[in-house]
Amino acid sequence: MLVLTRKAGESIVIGNEVVITVLEVRGGQIRLGVDAPRNLAVHRAEIYQQVMEENQAASIDASEGVPEILKTTASSITLRNPDSQ
Amino acid sequence: MTTSYAPAGTQETMSEDIRAIEFEEGIPGFPDITRFVLVDIVDDGAFQTFQSVDDPSVGFVVAVPWLFFPDYAPMLTDVDQQGLDIERQEDAVVFCPVTVDGSASKAYMNLLGPFVVNVRTMKGRQIVLTDQELPLRAELPLNLA
Repeated sequence: MLVLTRKAGESIVIGNEVVITVLEVRGGQIRLGVDAPRNLAVHRAEIYQQVMEENQAASIDASEGVPEILKTTASSITLRNPDSQ
Repeated sequence: MTTSYAPAGTQETMSEDIRAIEFEEGIPGFPDITRFVLVDIVDDGAFQTFQSVDDPSVGFVVAVPWLFFPDYAPMLTDVDQQGLDIERQEDAVVFCPVTVDGSASKAYMNLLGPFVVNVRTMKGRQIVLTDQELPLRAELPLNLA
């Protein structure tokens, strides 16, 4: 891993298009600003990891069958509490 | 359990005249799966799959979130909207990934990371909605027999 020391207001550049700037250092937290092309998604790593795991859980090979619960028809749906979220 | 859905549904939807939905960057965990077709699991189904065009063994179970959570109000950032070239609200359609628990008696919806598709361009992206306190795993409030 490349290790660089930066102060608030200083940046690093990744490739030609990604700039990460340290905006503020306070207490145990650092605020970062990320300038990246629009086609590059930027995520907090732990949330990205959770979404990745959830995607793996949502993936199926339909040729091997589908759980019955997923055969529910739209018109048969009744919700326990329509306002719940 | 029948398997009638896969052969019938996928063959029908794989035909040449159906335009694939393109996720240029893939989705987290599946960077190489970029082209999908939307397949109903059953007729009038509450659930669909985003079926990979390139790898028939990969599909992601999804559903329209408002069928289950009428108050769901995802907010796309300007960056997200620009990235998908969304000019007006009607451009965007939203599906959320669905998981089923081991006993298959409960299902959960990922309201944090919806699949958003621009129906005008047929490009899509999984968007992680940060700072909106949305659950990764919301139990579907289904009344099951």
